Amino acid sequence: MSPSSVVLRLHGVTRVHGEGATRVEALRGVSFAAHAGELVAVMGPSGSGKSTLLTIAGGLDQPTEGRVEVEGTDLVALPRAGRSRLRRTSIGYVFQGFNLIPALSAAENVALPLELDGTRTRAARQAALRALEEVGIVELADRFPDDMSGGQQQRVAIARAIVGERRLVLADEPTGALDSETGEEVLRLLRARCDAGAAGVLVTHESRHAAWADRVVFLRDGVVVDESGCEPVESLLETSDAR
Amino acid sequence: MSVKQALLALLEQEPMYGYQLRTEFEARTGSAWPLNVGQVYTTLTRLERDGLVEPAGADDEGHEIWRLTAAGHDEVAAWFTTPVARTQPPRDELAIKLALAVTVPGVDVGTLIQRQRSATMGALQDYTRLKRQADASTGRTDLAWSLVLDSLVFAAEAEIRWLDHCEARVRRVATESTPLIAPARFERDEQEAGR
Amino acid sequence: MSPLGWLRGWLRGWRLPLRVAARDARRARGRSLLVLVMIALPVAAVAIADTVYSTADVSGTEVLERRLGGAEALVEVQAGGGQAYQKPDPEDGSAYDGEGDARPLTLRAVQRILGGERPGAVLAQGWVRFDTELGLGEADVVETALGDPLAEGLVELLDGRWPDDTTEVLVSPELLDRGPGDELVLDDGSRLSIVGTAQRARYTGQPRAFGLPGTFGLGRDASREYLVGGDPVTWDQVLELNAAGATVLSRAVLADPPADDELPMEVQWGSQLLEASVITVLVLVVVMVLLEVVLLAGPAFAVGARRQARTLALMAAAGGTPAQARRVVLASGVVLGAVAAVLGVLLGLVGALALMPLVQRFSSTRFGPFDVSWSHLVVVAGFGLFSALLAAMVPAWLASRQDVVAVLNGRRGDARASRRSPLVGLVLLGAGVAAAVWGARTGTGDGGEVAIAASALLSVLGMVLLVPVVVVVVARLARGLPLPLRFAARDAARHRSRTVPAVAAVAATVAGVVALGIAITSDEAQNRETYSAALPMEAMSVVDYERGADYGLHESAVTAVAEGLEVQRLRGVDSSGRRSTSVTFRTEEGADVLSGYGGSLGSGVLVADEVPGAIPGLSDDDRAAAQQALDAGGVIAFTDAPLADDRLRVVLRVHGEERRRSAAVLPAATTTVERGYAPVQGVLSTAAAARLEAPVRDVGLFLPGPVSAAQERDVAEVVRGASADAYAYAERGYQAADETAIVQLVLAGLGAVLMLGGTLTATFLALSDARPDLATLSAVGAAPRTRRGVAAAYALVVGLVGAVLGALVGAVPGVAITYPLTAPYGFGDGANAPSHYLDVPWLLVIGVVVGLPVLTSALVGLTARSRLLLVARLD
Repeated sequence: MSPSSVVLRLHGVTRVHGEGATRVEALRGVSFAAHAGELVAVMGPSGSGKSTLLTIAGGLDQPTEGRVEVEGTDLVALPRAGRSRLRRTSIGYVFQGFNLIPALSAAENVALPLELDGTRTRAARQAALRALEEVGIVELADRFPDDMSGGQQQRVAIARAIVGERRLVLADEPTGALDSETGEEVLRLLRARCDAGAAGVLVTHESRHAAWADRVVFLRDGVVVDESGCEPVESLLETSDAR
Repeated sequence: MSVKQALLALLEQEPMYGYQLRTEFEARTGSAWPLNVGQVYTTLTRLERDGLVEPAGADDEGHEIWRLTAAGHDEVAAWFTTPVARTQPPRDELAIKLALAVTVPGVDVGTLIQRQRSATMGALQDYTRLKRQADASTGRTDLAWSLVLDSLVFAAEAEIRWLDHCEARVRRVATESTPLIAPARFERDEQEAGR
Repeated sequence: MSPLGWLRGWLRGWRLPLRVAARDARRARGRSLLVLVMIALPVAAVAIADTVYSTADVSGTEVLERRLGGAEALVEVQAGGGQAYQKPDPEDGSAYDGEGDARPLTLRAVQRILGGERPGAVLAQGWVRFDTELGLGEADVVETALGDPLAEGLVELLDGRWPDDTTEVLVSPELLDRGPGDELVLDDGSRLSIVGTAQRARYTGQPRAFGLPGTFGLGRDASREYLVGGDPVTWDQVLELNAAGATVLSRAVLADPPADDELPMEVQWGSQLLEASVITVLVLVVVMVLLEVVLLAGPAFAVGARRQARTLALMAAAGGTPAQARRVVLASGVVLGAVAAVLGVLLGLVGALALMPLVQRFSSTRFGPFDVSWSHLVVVAGFGLFSALLAAMVPAWLASRQDVVAVLNGRRGDARASRRSPLVGLVLLGAGVAAAVWGARTGTGDGGEVAIAASALLSVLGMVLLVPVVVVVVARLARGLPLPLRFAARDAARHRSRTVPAVAAVAATVAGVVALGIAITSDEAQNRETYSAALPMEAMSVVDYERGADYGLHESAVTAVAEGLEVQRLRGVDSSGRRSTSVTFRTEEGADVLSGYGGSLGSGVLVADEVPGAIPGLSDDDRAAAQQALDAGGVIAFTDAPLADDRLRVVLRVHGEERRRSAAVLPAATTTVERGYAPVQGVLSTAAAARLEAPVRDVGLFLPGPVSAAQERDVAEVVRGASADAYAYAERGYQAADETAIVQLVLAGLGAVLMLGGTLTATFLALSDARPDLATLSAVGAAPRTRRGVAAAYALVVGLVGAVLGALVGAVPGVAITYPLTAPYGFGDGANAPSHYLDVPWLLVIGVVVGLPVLTSALVGLTARSRLLLVARLD
């Protein structure tokens, strides 16, 4: 796998919350990469730092130490506005609680990142409809989130994460609030997106869902303890030189 | 035993000859439990002895065809309506291994668990991949196979969950009393060395 | 269950909700503060007003020494009074039948009627003129037994000593400022030495002088009262004195006044002083204020109720009744309302104390001691509590009917809007418009204003009910708008319980501002349109209303200060004084040609052989025609309507002792008054005046000008110095009264504050409500300024929707009120005066409707925090 296809790369990322007695090390020297066309699952019990990893990968949070690169851009060096722009253009987020904006229709929710990026409303809507088509609910485009089932809402959320030319999809327990059948649907969509060339990072505590990934990274107490996958895991070895 | 019941269930659909039975069985269960032809014929003989199947002549190519007797039909119906009993836990090598590991001094239980978990995860990923391929088509047989795969997926998941649980228990014991396993054992370099 | 037991149970039912509410109020500090401010401020304002009023109102036995001194009674006698009637305090009402002896009672007569051993003293009050550094000043004077125990407390000695005899006086500091020196020189030449300063205990300000009886030589027009000591004066004795034509202020009677029905019939009026219409308007004002307060505080309660929605849903799921759910929300109204009411009253008391010296400066009556009317304040505080309860009522009701399942499933947003309330709103609005139309048609005096005021309230109430529909429609229309606006509009529509009161508060405010603005501007427009110049522009006139005024003196004084200005003498028919004379211009058929006039030329009819330059508004043609008429020994006349006549009948009447009448038909030039008043009735040629035997004299000075502002000031000062009754007037065209501008400014300011209040409340509540959505926006890559944009959009949606609605609704009573307000005065309007003036203050309206919302929105956008804690949401 050529280095150019690395979409997300974390180098020795450490994240410390609080000071003194309340000091918590959420992540300790984590190194990790996700390549184009690859879905990586991050597994660990609650408090293992997996959500922190995701917020840092998405530029919502900054590491205390280390580097975060998305498609070759160092997020840490980027100003806040720049990170926002990256989230609008390169990174898609899928949350456990769907996090749709109830005041906006499905299509508008999906078009949100594009609109925020300044795309014309009409063009943004076209792209949103395409994304909704991809997740199979284009007929619900003008419904509002409150009028949808959980699975439908999560599909809209996925559509929002993949709309436009996003090459990195970050999903935080995307199946958490869904039954196993609907959850699998959602994973299938994520998987398909990665098969189509995007890099995906899936945070979950359920091994059944993690199994959809090409690689599974185990996190314990802010440290990557193991990885498993069918690939001859050369990315695994990178972590040791970061330490 | 399940092979006996499985053959009866297949014959319920239509009369078949021995090799055909084996092929059908494997198609439906995704080769999860390989079955050799000898086993099929032995079982058929035993079923005939018990009056559940009877020969029904040969087909054009001279294969001997078997079909269900009335008693055989009853047996199939009874099987489908009776739940599988869990009277005796199957012997589980992993459970025994862990039970011994925590009692025998000098064994790195943490690494043992993690290595097992990685292995099981690998299997789980394989099952999931098979499932994805199975999902590509939508035949009745594929549904059957997909369900079998699900059973394996859930079993593997249960095992991982159990391993997670074991790990949590072991660590709690370790922090509460004398260190059974050093926390450092979970560090990465140990893992690398273990590979 | 016994009633008591029931009550106890009912109170027990409130204990938990109140505790929850108190805890909630402490936790949601910002929201609680908001409610406290919204309710405590009006309460404080009313409490201040009430306390200031109570303090300023010195009545009954309060500081009675300021009126009575040390006396038991103050007896006022009236020449020719006959039988007098009075209330316990004659200042509250007294009457005379006017058929008695012409000679007023003497002090001795009063003492005799009262009987017993009674010391007495005269209290005489009048005014004098005195020499100042610059000219003449006027002072109120009091003559009484200064230093006597009877007068003790009437006059406060500030400095010096009491006068010993009638050559000595005390003066007030204000008089001393006018610079009389050591002596007060009266205009009759008498010189009084100043032995100290003093002030009247009851009144402030004003130059005053105090002396012993006889000091100032007060004339017959001075008022004379008697201070009487001795035993307390009873109500029966008061009635006896009334019978003798005197009114009495008695210490004993004020302390224990007779019942209302014991009063003589003649003064029983006025107990119900407040007219029905006043009460109606008062009620309307109170309701409007209440509405505004409720609307402003409402959103906070709505948000609070929704924060508690999950708790309430869980309560319902666990078997709680809607009443219990309602109580939880209402309890927050009780808690916050009670705190706000108490806080408001305290604030009011402190504010009143602080404001008292300032208010005193505007009042000539010295305030009494700090006086708090607790009974009023309890009502005011109750009002505050009630408004909080009212504000919590709708959210409480909504909370009790919420969809439990939807809430537990985590769906946000309000239930579907009611279909009925907009209909009721439409009906109310229709009724409001109808009332406005009726009021406009009916006009003054027949309840027109009351109908229009009621229409304002009806329209606003109707509008409040229509706001939800409007908000939803706006959300629908928001489809194509940029993201922040679309988001804000949709969110506003989703959370109507929060948005509607805020929008309605803004709308009600704007409605009030627009209505009053239209009324004031139209009134102003009428004033402007009907303004008629008394003189040509930049010219000036000097008129001395004193009998036998010496214009020679004025002329030399004016010439001295206004160098290079031409000064003309104006001659005219002497219409003042003993030989009061009136001149009427009529057509030959005998119809009056002019209904009214008003001017600054000293007389309504000038006498001249040249058309006087002092008459404004004559065209060249008019002037030529007028000159012809004067040359022919005729007259010039102003007329209401154009006349074809070239001859008019001029009638002259001299009133008084010299009573006579003369008339002549003379050649005449007429000029029609286009609008407003004619500056004079007309002009007589010398020949005409002679023929009518008109009394002619100098009536004023005319300075054709142009007169500068500085010259105007100088001239005014010298003529005032020369004669107290002399006035100088310079024509500067129409000058808008300062009050109009001030009232408009105050209106705009008040509107701005209330609007800002409403908008900010709604915006920040919305923002805190929308925190999860904003976090989502940020997570999908919204730049920090998008959050500001959303904040600004919220403010814009609330402000703009409210303002537009308010302007529409306010225009109805606003336009209606202009009909009675600008109705013709009935005379002097000229023939072509329109019957109605309407002028919309577009600048104010646009400022309030567009400017303020945009400004508020910009303000919100600039101050909104753009940073958000995101991680908490994502974990």
